[in-house]
Amino acid sequence: MRRLLSSVLMLVVLALAPAATAADFIPAIVFDMGGKFDKSFNQMAYEGAEAWRKENGITYREFEVTSPVQREQALRQLARRGAAVVVAIGFSQGPAVATVAKEFPAIKFTVIDAIVDAPNVQSVVMREHEGSFLVGMLAAMASKTGRVGFVGGMDIPLIRKFAAGYRQGALYANPKIEVLENMTGTTPEAWNDPTRGAELAKAQFGRGVDVIYAAAGGTGLGVYQAAKDAGKLAIGVDSNQNYVQPGTMLTSMVKRIDKVVAEAFSSARNGTWQPGTRDLGLAADAVGWALDEYNRPLITPAMEAAVQQATGDIVSGRITVSETCGNSACTH
Amino acid sequence: METATQILLLIAAAIRLATPLLLAALAGIYAERSGVIDLSLEGKMLAGAFAGAALASVSGNVWVGALAAMATGILLSLLHGFATVTHRGNQVVAGMAINIAMAGLIPTVAQAIFALGGQTPQLGPAQRFLGLVLPFADGDGLVAQTYARLLSGHNALTWLAFLAVPATGWLLYRTGWGLRLRAVGENPYAVDTAGLPVARLRYQALVVNGALAGLAGAYLSMAANAGFSRDMTAGKGYLAIAALIFGRWAPVPTMLACLLFAFADAVQAQLQTVRILPSQFVGALPYILTVLVLALVGKGGGMPKALGIPYIKERGV
Amino acid sequence: MTPIRSASIEVAVVASALVASFAVAGLVLAVIGADPIEAFRILVYGAFGYPEAIGYTLYYATSYMFAGLAVWVALKAGIFNIGGEGQAYLGGLGAALVCLFFDGLPPILLLPLAMMSAALFGAGWAAIPGWLQARRQTHVVVTTIMFNFIAGALMTYLLNNWLLAPGGGSPETRPFAPQATMPALHDILALVGINIAHSPANLSLLVALIAVACTWTFMFRTVWGYETRVVGANPHAARYAGIDPGAVIVRTMLISGALVGLVAVNEVMGVHKRLILDFPAGAGFVGIAVALMAGESAIGLVLASLLFAALAQGSLDLVIDMPMINREIVRLIQGVLILFCGALPSLFRKPVLRLLAPRREIAAPAGAS
Repeated sequence: MRRLLSSVLMLVVLALAPAATAADFIPAIVFDMGGKFDKSFNQMAYEGAEAWRKENGITYREFEVTSPVQREQALRQLARRGAAVVVAIGFSQGPAVATVAKEFPAIKFTVIDAIVDAPNVQSVVMREHEGSFLVGMLAAMASKTGRVGFVGGMDIPLIRKFAAGYRQGALYANPKIEVLENMTGTTPEAWNDPTRGAELAKAQFGRGVDVIYAAAGGTGLGVYQAAKDAGKLAIGVDSNQNYVQPGTMLTSMVKRIDKVVAEAFSSARNGTWQPGTRDLGLAADAVGWALDEYNRPLITPAMEAAVQQATGDIVSGRITVSETCGNSACTH
Repeated sequence: METATQILLLIAAAIRLATPLLLAALAGIYAERSGVIDLSLEGKMLAGAFAGAALASVSGNVWVGALAAMATGILLSLLHGFATVTHRGNQVVAGMAINIAMAGLIPTVAQAIFALGGQTPQLGPAQRFLGLVLPFADGDGLVAQTYARLLSGHNALTWLAFLAVPATGWLLYRTGWGLRLRAVGENPYAVDTAGLPVARLRYQALVVNGALAGLAGAYLSMAANAGFSRDMTAGKGYLAIAALIFGRWAPVPTMLACLLFAFADAVQAQLQTVRILPSQFVGALPYILTVLVLALVGKGGGMPKALGIPYIKERGV
Repeated sequence: MTPIRSASIEVAVVASALVASFAVAGLVLAVIGADPIEAFRILVYGAFGYPEAIGYTLYYATSYMFAGLAVWVALKAGIFNIGGEGQAYLGGLGAALVCLFFDGLPPILLLPLAMMSAALFGAGWAAIPGWLQARRQTHVVVTTIMFNFIAGALMTYLLNNWLLAPGGGSPETRPFAPQATMPALHDILALVGINIAHSPANLSLLVALIAVACTWTFMFRTVWGYETRVVGANPHAARYAGIDPGAVIVRTMLISGALVGLVAVNEVMGVHKRLILDFPAGAGFVGIAVALMAGESAIGLVLASLLFAALAQGSLDLVIDMPMINREIVRLIQGVLILFCGALPSLFRKPVLRLLAPRREIAAPAGAS
C-alpha cells in the first residue's frame, strides 16, 4: 500500500514537474563523479541538502554524474525543469556551469570549488589549506616521534592544497618535524581503495610516523582503521569523522560544504542569493577542526590553546597560509 | 639493523598485499584450467566482500561471514556457468556482465539493508580475521625478527591463501580429478570421447573458483579492513587475472607473480615518501616493472588450449 | 537456409534476448518500488524522444563505435586488446598537443592533423603490447591492463605539471581555439539551413561510420585483412601459408590502437574542447561488449553501439525523473543487458528455431526442387 501511495505521489510530482513555476521552489544539486556517498565533499553536500530538506520540508532534485559529458547535460536538464537554484559540486564542474549558466540567464547557479565569472553564478571556494594548517599543528604537537604523515587520493592541485596547509601547520608547531607524503593512485579507483590506504598507513608507521592525515575519500577509511589497529593516530577530512574510530582519531579537518549548500538553497528561496565569488576560510567558519566527545581526551589544553591562537592569527592575517608548497613556503 | 627491519617490513607488506590477489588468481586458475575464461573475479570479489562483512556484522561471527562470502562467490560462479557452460555463451561477455551488474547491485543492496551510504557497519574484533601472533615472536636478533615479522602476525586467510598454493598444485597435478580438469581445458572432445562429463567438470571447477574468489573479497572487508565500502576491490580482480596469466596458469609461478606485484607496490609506497620522483611515476612503477619482467622473461604459453571456447558436443561428431 | 531466413532468426534471437533482459531489469525496478513500464518509457524517451536526446545518443554511440571497432579488429587476429581505455587516453594527448600548439593552422589542415595525431598516439600506446606479444610472447591482456594504469599515471602527471592551464587550479588544459575543435552537427546543418537541437554530436560521427566501413572492407576485402583472419583462426596454419603471425599482430594492434585513439577526437576535440582528467570514462571497456555483441556484422556493431549509447543517455532522464532510480540501478540494468544480449543469446536460439521450424520444413523441399 505504501508503495502504491508513493508511486501515486511520484506520478503527481512528475505531472507537476514540467509546469513548475516560481511558486514551486525546487532546488537542485549535481554531485560529481565520486557520487553522493564518496565519504568526501560530495557526501558533505548531500548531507547539507538532506538536512535542509528535513528542516524545510521541500524536496530537491539531484543527479550523480557518471561521465564528464553528463556534467553539462545534467545542469541543463535541471535548469530546464525549472530548478530555482542549481548547486554544482566540485572543481570539474566549473566549465560546465559556465556554459549552461549562459544558456539560462534566469536560473541561479552555485558552484563549489571552482570560480565562474557570470552574472547568475555564485562561486564558492574554500580555504582547505587554512583548516589543514590547524590539523597539521595538532598532528605535530601530538606526535611523539617527530614524524607525521599525509595520505592523499591523487596528486592534483586540490589535494596539494590540503598537503601544503598541513605541512605548513606542522612546521609552524614544530620546525623540526618531518612530514611524509603518499598519494594513493592516478585512476578514479584511488578514491575508493581502503586496502591501499591501510597499506600506505602501515608503510608510514613503519618509518616512525605516528599521526596521519588522510585526504582520500573512501581510501581514508583504511588509513583510520590501520591507525586504530596499530594504536596510532589519524586525522579525518571534510566531514567530522572523529566518531569513525573513537580514541584514535586525533581530529578532523572539517570543510562545511553542507552549510554552503543549505545556504545556497535558503538564500535562493528568501531572495538574498548573490552572484559573485565567496572565498570562505577560517574567518567564515567554513573550514576548521573538530573537537567533540570522541577526541576530547586526545587534545590537551596546551594544544587547544595553540590552535586557537593560530586561528586568530590566520583570521587577522598575522599568519598567511600558502596554497602550494612552491618557493619555500613550507620550510621554516 | 634499521635497513634489515625496513626490508622485513616491506616483505611483510608484500605478503599482505599479495593475499587477495593470490586467492583471486587461484580462483581464476581453476576456472581457466577447465577452459572457462574468468573475467568476473572483480565482481565475485566485490560480492564476496559485501556478503562476508554483512553476515559477519549481523551474526557476530567471523566464520559465518567467510561462509557467506564463499556462498556468494559460488552463486555467481553458477550464474557464470549457466551462461557459459550450459548455454555456451561468450565467456568474456558473461564475466564483464557480472562485474558491471555487481558494481550496481552491491551498493544498492548495502544501502537498502544498512542505510550507511553503501557501507556495512564497522566490524568488531570477533567479526574480523585478526593477525595471529605465533609463540616466541618477541626475540631480538635477525633470525628472531625475521620470524616475528614474516611468519607471525598474519591472519587465517593469508595462511589459507598460501597453503592453497601447494594444495592446488597437488589437486591439479596429482589427482585424477585434476588430470580430468586439465584435460577438459586442453581437449574437451577427447574427455567427452572417454565418456567423462565435460559440463559437470567445468561446473565443479567453477564452484571452487567461486569459493576462492569470495574469500578474496572477504579478505578485503574482513581482514585488511573492518567492513565493506563501495567499490573497495578497486581493480584487484583484473590484477589477479594479469597475475595468473603471468604465472602461466600454474599455482607456484602465479604465487610468485602476485608477490612480485605486491612487493613492487610496497616499494613504491616507501619510495613516494622520499619525494625524489613525481608521485605518479613512482605509483606506476609496479606496472612498468611487470611489463619489463614479462618482456625479459618472454615466452608465454601454458594457456589451456580450449580456453574461451564453449564446448559443443555436436561439433565433435 | 537462405541468408534472409538466417538473418531473421538472428534478429528474432537478439530481440527476445532484449525483451528478456528488460523483463529482468523490470523485475528489479518493481522490487525497489519503481514502475517498470514508466521507467522504460522514460528511458526510451530520454534516448530518442527529443532532438537533443538523439544528439547525445549519437555522441555516445560515436565513442562506442571507435572503441568497439578497436576490440573487434584485434579479436579477429585472436588478440584481446583490453587497453582501449589507456589508448584512448593517450589519443587525447595526441589530439590536444596539435590543438594547443598548432592552432594557427587553417582548420582544413589542423583538424586532419589532430585526428592523425590522436590515432598515432593511440596506435603507439598499443604498439608496445603488440610488439611484446609478437616478439616476446608476453600476453597482451596483461600488458594492456598494465598500460592502462601507466597511461593514467602519465596523463595525471602531464596534466598536473605541464599541460595545466596557466593560473588554473584544476588538472586540465586551456580550452582549444574554436578552429581547433570538431564542428558540431547542429552547426554544420545550420550552414545548409537545417536547424536541429544543440548537442555534443559532432563530425566525429561521420568519421566513426567511415571507420566502420573501412574496417569491414579492410577485414573482408583486402589481403592484409585475410591474413589477419587466418592468424586469428589458426596461427600455425598461417605460418604454413607463409604469413608471419608476429607482423600481423603488431599491425593489428597498431590499427586497433589508432581506432580507439579516435575516441579522443569525439570527446576531446568534439565535446570537452580541452584535455581533461579521465575523459574516456569507461568507453574503452564498453567497446569490449560492443565488439563481442557485433559478431560478424558491421550493422551489428553500429546497433550495439547505439544500444549502449541509448542506455547511457536515456538513464540521465530516468535518474532525474525517478528519484528511487540511481546510477547503481542503471549499472545493474546494463549488466543484465550485457548478460542476456551478449552471453545468453543461445538461451533463446532453440525456442526461436522451434517456433520457426515448421515453416522451415515446408520451405526446405520447395527450395530443393
